[in-house]
Amino acid sequence: MAPLDDGDWRAIATSLLGGVLTLALIALLGTPLAQRLAAPRPPGWRGKAIGIVEAMVLLPMLTPTLAMGIVLAATFGPNTALGAAAQHLGLRLTNSFPAFLLAGVYAALPVYVVGARAALAEVPSALTDVARTLGDRPGRLFFRITLPLAGRGIAAALALAWVRAVGEFGVVLIIAYYPQGLPVRLWVDFQEAGLPAVFPLVLAFLALALPLPLALGLRARR
Amino acid sequence: MHPSPATSLAVAYRIAQPIALDARFTIAGFTVLLGASGTGKTTLLRALAGLLPAQGTPWGGLPAEARPIGYLPQGTALFPHLTALENAAYALRGTDRLERGRHLLAELGIADLASRRGRDLSGGEAQRVGLARALARDPALLLLDEPSSALDASTKEAVFAALIEAVAARAIPTLAATHDPAIALLAERLVLMGAGGILQEGTPRDLARHPANEEAARLLGYQNIWRAADGRLVAIRAEDVRLDDGAAPEGAAEMLEGIVATVHDAGHAVRVKLAAPLPLIAMLRSAPVLTPGQRIRLRLPHRRIVAVGG
Repeated sequence: MAPLDDGDWRAIATSLLGGVLTLALIALLGTPLAQRLAAPRPPGWRGKAIGIVEAMVLLPMLTPTLAMGIVLAATFGPNTALGAAAQHLGLRLTNSFPAFLLAGVYAALPVYVVGARAALAEVPSALTDVARTLGDRPGRLFFRITLPLAGRGIAAALALAWVRAVGEFGVVLIIAYYPQGLPVRLWVDFQEAGLPAVFPLVLAFLALALPLPLALGLRARR
Repeated sequence: MHPSPATSLAVAYRIAQPIALDARFTIAGFTVLLGASGTGKTTLLRALAGLLPAQGTPWGGLPAEARPIGYLPQGTALFPHLTALENAAYALRGTDRLERGRHLLAELGIADLASRRGRDLSGGEAQRVGLARALARDPALLLLDEPSSALDASTKEAVFAALIEAVAARAIPTLAATHDPAIALLAERLVLMGAGGILQEGTPRDLARHPANEEAARLLGYQNIWRAADGRLVAIRAEDVRLDDGAAPEGAAEMLEGIVATVHDAGHAVRVKLAAPLPLIAMLRSAPVLTPGQRIRLRLPHRRIVAVGG
């Protein structure tokens, strides 16, 4: 078995940094979104609008990843209006580090939102009601009541999102082939050197992907 | 008893969802909102707490966190992941908040529960902690939703007495919503709620002497309501109906001869329902053995018959 070469180490670093940033983005975007979806649906057009947002967020989960990647390339690629406009602003929306992060977010955000929504919906509304009558504004009570009580479910959702994000291949292949993360690097090495030669990289991938879910899972069993 | 300005509050609220209500009444001292299930007692309390959209005074338009109220929902809703002390001190700020929380628990006689988790407390204990928590901010109004539902029969009296003592000591107007007539008996003021709004309000004594209508009379526990010969609607409690045993009468009374429909020995009294001429229900303290189909004579003392409405 050959040891890891420079390209492999760069791929590990890309996936590690990209994964952490992607997860942070997912937590920041996904948590308020999950909270909104977990709350009782308001009547009328607002409820319907929330329903549409929910469908759009969950759509990537139902779409084969290659198809998703192609749709995104067709929307944000350099030959498209959006892509060209972004490039004028100095932002490459494909085959760049931001694109790499975006691919991870598209793939893993729905996974996080589904899990986080379920966990947040479990927090009895009577508790948040009482906290409000005790003077807590929504932000304060989220950290004092909602998050502690939904903590385990949210941790599980994060763990799943992490695995999904670092393992994402289909979308990445189309819109973020460069910079090379671990999944693409594995594929390239496998094609060039064959199965036994990529074992070290596979182990590296598992060492990257597994610790967080295991740590969160162990905490949940406490 | 004249409500003193410090402990009385005039309420006028209009609610559209989930139940349409237009409620105008006064809260004075320990006030009980008595109404059948489904009429909107919880909705009214939540509207007063600011937890659902409504227009009215006081505090209309203010969000819940800005209102000076204490709220105990049905089931108390203690924060399960916090200790009793942390629950009681929840609304307090400052470095001495836990000390003040301890003080609150001690005032209600539950200082020993301080380090127990919210999820590990029994119904009565949880309710006292919930009360401490609600009183922490010295609210201008205390709202209790079905306060007896979390208590078992044996501790209900004791817990309730302590609760009323605590709020009376602080002179906080309190509105307790319930369908439990036993709680209504403890009220300084009674507000009867029907579909859509308030039926009647006043002291329990005034209301019992003159219920505004049939619905009010039923809420007050009058099981027997009928139209007298002169066309007036009248009512009498089942407990006030006596069996005519031939002894000298203590006062003027309606005599009623009827046929027994059902008999049920409830231990402390015998519940008799007549088949004819009226479906009258009587709770007889001392009665010989009665059987369905039997003819009996009942006495309805005049001073126990109340006029309903009109």
